[in-house]
Amino acid sequence: MRREKQHAVPPAERATPDLDSGKYLVMWQGPQHPGITGNMSLRLVAEGDTVVDCETHVGYLHRGFEKLMERRLYMQNFPLVCRIAVPEPDFNEYCYAAALEELAGVVIPEKAVWLRTLSLEMIRLASFLMWIGGQAGAFGHGTIAQWSVTMRDYVLDLFEELTGGRIYHMYIIPGGVRGDVPAGFWKRVLATMDVVEKNLDDIELVMFHNAVFKARAEGLGYIPRDWVDQYGITGPNARAAGAGRDLRKDSGYLAYPRLSFEPLVGTESDAYGRARLRLGEMYQAIDLIRQIVDRTPANGPFREKLPNPLHWKIPAGETYVAAECTRGEYGFYVVSDGSDKPRRVAVRGPSYTHAVSVMERLVRGVNIADVAGLMVSLHTYPPEIER
Amino acid sequence: MDLKDFIAPFAVWKRAFEKPFTVRKPIDERPGAPRYRGFHMNDADACVGCGTCEAICMNKAIDMVPVAGRDPEDGDSGLRPRVDYGRCCWCALCVDICPSGSLSMSNEYVWIDKDPDVFRYVPGVESKPWDGSPLGYRRADGYRLLDEDRVPMPETGPAEAVASFLELVKGYSRAQAEKEADRCVSCGLCIASCPAHMDIPGYIKAVRDGDMEEGLRLLYDTNPFPEACGRVCTHLCEDACSIGSAGDPVAIRWLKRYIADQVELSDYAKALPRAAAPTGRKVAIVGAGPGGLSAAYYLAMLGYGVTVFEKDEAAGGMLRFGIPEYRLPYPALDKDIGYIESLGVGISRGVSIGKDIPLAKLRKDYDAVYLSTGLPLAYRLEVPGDGHPRVLDGVAVLAAATRGEELGLGGRVAVIGGGNVAMDAARTALRHGARVDILYRRREEDMPADAEEIREAKAEGARLVEKAIPLEVRDAEGAPAGKAAVFVWNEAAMVQKEAGKRPVPEPIPGAVREERYDSIIAAIGQGPDLSYVAEADGVPTRRFKPVVDADGMASSGQAGGAAVFAGGDFVNDRKDAISAIADGHRAALGIDRLLGGKGA
Amino acid sequence: MNELATRLAGRYGARDWHDQRKDLASVAVDVIRIRDVLAWLRDEEGYRHLSFATAIDNIERNVFTLTYALRNHEARQGLLIHADVDRDDPTVDSIHLLWGQAWTYQREMKEWFGIDFPGSPRVDEEFVLEGWDGPPMMRRDFDSLAYSDATYAERPGRVTHDPAAHMRDRLFPEAAR
Repeated sequence: MRREKQHAVPPAERATPDLDSGKYLVMWQGPQHPGITGNMSLRLVAEGDTVVDCETHVGYLHRGFEKLMERRLYMQNFPLVCRIAVPEPDFNEYCYAAALEELAGVVIPEKAVWLRTLSLEMIRLASFLMWIGGQAGAFGHGTIAQWSVTMRDYVLDLFEELTGGRIYHMYIIPGGVRGDVPAGFWKRVLATMDVVEKNLDDIELVMFHNAVFKARAEGLGYIPRDWVDQYGITGPNARAAGAGRDLRKDSGYLAYPRLSFEPLVGTESDAYGRARLRLGEMYQAIDLIRQIVDRTPANGPFREKLPNPLHWKIPAGETYVAAECTRGEYGFYVVSDGSDKPRRVAVRGPSYTHAVSVMERLVRGVNIADVAGLMVSLHTYPPEIER
Repeated sequence: MDLKDFIAPFAVWKRAFEKPFTVRKPIDERPGAPRYRGFHMNDADACVGCGTCEAICMNKAIDMVPVAGRDPEDGDSGLRPRVDYGRCCWCALCVDICPSGSLSMSNEYVWIDKDPDVFRYVPGVESKPWDGSPLGYRRADGYRLLDEDRVPMPETGPAEAVASFLELVKGYSRAQAEKEADRCVSCGLCIASCPAHMDIPGYIKAVRDGDMEEGLRLLYDTNPFPEACGRVCTHLCEDACSIGSAGDPVAIRWLKRYIADQVELSDYAKALPRAAAPTGRKVAIVGAGPGGLSAAYYLAMLGYGVTVFEKDEAAGGMLRFGIPEYRLPYPALDKDIGYIESLGVGISRGVSIGKDIPLAKLRKDYDAVYLSTGLPLAYRLEVPGDGHPRVLDGVAVLAAATRGEELGLGGRVAVIGGGNVAMDAARTALRHGARVDILYRRREEDMPADAEEIREAKAEGARLVEKAIPLEVRDAEGAPAGKAAVFVWNEAAMVQKEAGKRPVPEPIPGAVREERYDSIIAAIGQGPDLSYVAEADGVPTRRFKPVVDADGMASSGQAGGAAVFAGGDFVNDRKDAISAIADGHRAALGIDRLLGGKGA
Repeated sequence: MNELATRLAGRYGARDWHDQRKDLASVAVDVIRIRDVLAWLRDEEGYRHLSFATAIDNIERNVFTLTYALRNHEARQGLLIHADVDRDDPTVDSIHLLWGQAWTYQREMKEWFGIDFPGSPRVDEEFVLEGWDGPPMMRRDFDSLAYSDATYAERPGRVTHDPAAHMRDRLFPEAAR
């Protein structure tokens, strides 16, 4: 069943098909497409039902965030950044806040460290739950999507309770977090984790022991290990290929050095292998959340006081703060010129390479019917490409 | 692939008969979480209309709009925020930053209408179904974007304070001043309450920016006494401060002082604007207090030749003779006055208009005259024996202290009154080693003195006797005649006589108390002395006050000489330095207009 | 890391080494050496991962400052390489042959800043700004608010009042004279 392994070719060397030959069909997949790829489109060139060439087109979600941030006060960007990756906004909040704190020399309280870690692991779980629904759905398994999106909603209920918002939490504010956990919250977190875990067991059974899923996912979008550095691949896409890199371990930010976990590493980065690895990371997130519930200090401040947000100036400097999101290395590069507004903010999203260079390379030779499944198996979020 | 891969997927069927996850809206309600960020609510009475919500809103979703029934008043712009849900992103930074804490959010998130323009409303003014919702987003305990606590001012402790006349308030360091200036949200509510309408947000920004010359320039735009006002101003601005609506108001007065303290007098000319070209016209000013000298400064800036006539041997008026040096050291006052004199303003000290020179002569020799002679005459106690030689006048005691004269107050001193002069006299007596009682006819909270003055006087050891109605002063027995006195008062109860008015002290029958004192300092107020103004000067008066128009003009001077303007304590009701300074500025502009200057 | 700084200085004239964190440093080189430096760091020093590449418009100095973020996974070190390029002639060697995703960053910088990378695949194609006819939008002298005001209409009915000005007009209008 295993398909032929593909090898990296720089895009300049790709052979452009002769579209006037009458042998090819040019078709657009997206920007509206049910494969939860977000508003992105692929310009496919097909020969028969096999794709021979692909260009990723983005721009449908460009809102000029990086430009907008240069015009806004540091604190005013706090509600803005979450919008750069809709299904998991918290990494934007964390990276932005941590970058400012580093530049301003602010150390956040212990409690905020734990609540931020909680936030990031909860959204990791929620984001993966949404992804797995999409991955199953792309192969026609809509039932799993119904289950997993419900589970995601239960996690969003927890976010709603903790932060006052379901999608845009706006919780990780520079200086710490915006509030302590509500009374009885930990109990409900643990109860939800039990429900989600049980559901994951069901998903594992019906999705991963499924002849249709296996037939279509195995070998699809195979990423060789040597592509990882060549294309800047990170996250599960890289780990499934055997690159055991995880910034939670390697950079040791927030409470991760004090949590017990080991990065998951696979051997085959194809659609099936990546899905397996992500399923493992969902269980891992549940485990981490349980550890966090156990170890978050009950008392203490949750935010360090910062200067008046209307006048807050940050000393000149630059930094790059990255965190391990569900898709890999998510980072904020912030440059300050000493004024009350950032000089430059650049957002590094893993989809930038996964959905463009890697996708364009992998899709060649794939059946048109598998393009959506391939796209989802790379777990891409277009807004972080366009910013 | 094995057989399991074909069988396992059928496990989905086991859920076919489970209860669905979905909520049957609208049959089943699904309220937002207790801290859900739903539609805005605003306690419109607590809101002060400062617009800080608008300033922080990165979506420009908030407009500040006038609402019916709310006119601007001290500490409230009368405006209220209107939220445009076409732009709002429900981030709640407006709630987080709201200085008064009036803004919050309900947990309601459903609002359906056919008209898209209704999704824009003034919370708390236009009523909505979610008004008053106990649930919804509130700022968490211990979480504030603004600092509610003022940077403490380093001050001498009371025990050390009474030992000398050294200045109590030490002034902010640069770091302290910048931190305090950072608390300001630049709403500008304070400007209306300042009698001189100083650009307070502007000079506080100058402190934040470390630009002292810009700060000084902004101060002198409306007030040529920043050193004095930076120490002893009645700071109505701080009562209006939006940060003060739910925390300590910004220390506006101390920041003003900080700016003036940072710039050497020799550098003032570099920072401040130069005077206009001479107009060739001359103005006489009677009284070198803050009001007279304020007029002198602005007239000099407009190019007028100014001469100020001062009956005392030194300029400064009540700032010098009425305020003890531990609150306003003379070098600070001399700096303010010195800069005004450096502009060519002449001050004729020891010249009393009415005695040495008649007002009519000034009206003949000058193009305009400004009167700012204040309230030099102390009110008497108006009880039997108030002419006793040990009954002293509070202002006279303070003036004698300024002049360094021996006060001879003795060991037991009573101060009668509850204003700032009473507090100053009491604290001066304490510094001369006396045991001091302050007797006041109403309660402490009714005292017109600044709260901090009262607090400090008590901390330094003054005993406060409230609700004491003076009855009589008698010569004390057992002492040489006229060397000590007995003060007799009637204890009073506060009675609410008319609804809406402040309660009145009523003597309690039989509750007569008395105490022997070496000195009794009466500080119950002062009145004007208009004896130098003749009927021919055409200055109308009402209730012993000159009546002036909106420019401060009392007499247009059609007959018998130049126009007469007047201002300061004997004209306005505030009777404080900053109001006199504002009057002086107003009169300077009025005189300029009258004489055809650029304001005409 | 100081050894690396010394080697970089010796080989490529790199300067301004700055340790931002224990796992992040920055260094500057001349723009003509940028491809050589990056290739050497990738092949000889273990900085095999390109996190991103972007630019900062330092309009005051009339340069674009390029930033290439590299990471050495084994050493757990990040390194930001800077190079200034003349704002009037922003042309930089392409690194699309060093990393498979680099051409996208270069295409972005061409569109957003107007920095050219000759030879970079599809560098002149529109990236996110389809149909854009304005100047490169991330340049500091492109005023996005002025553009927005000129291009889009405000919603009718929006009017706001400055509290201080409102109070002045209502309480002491004479001060406005």
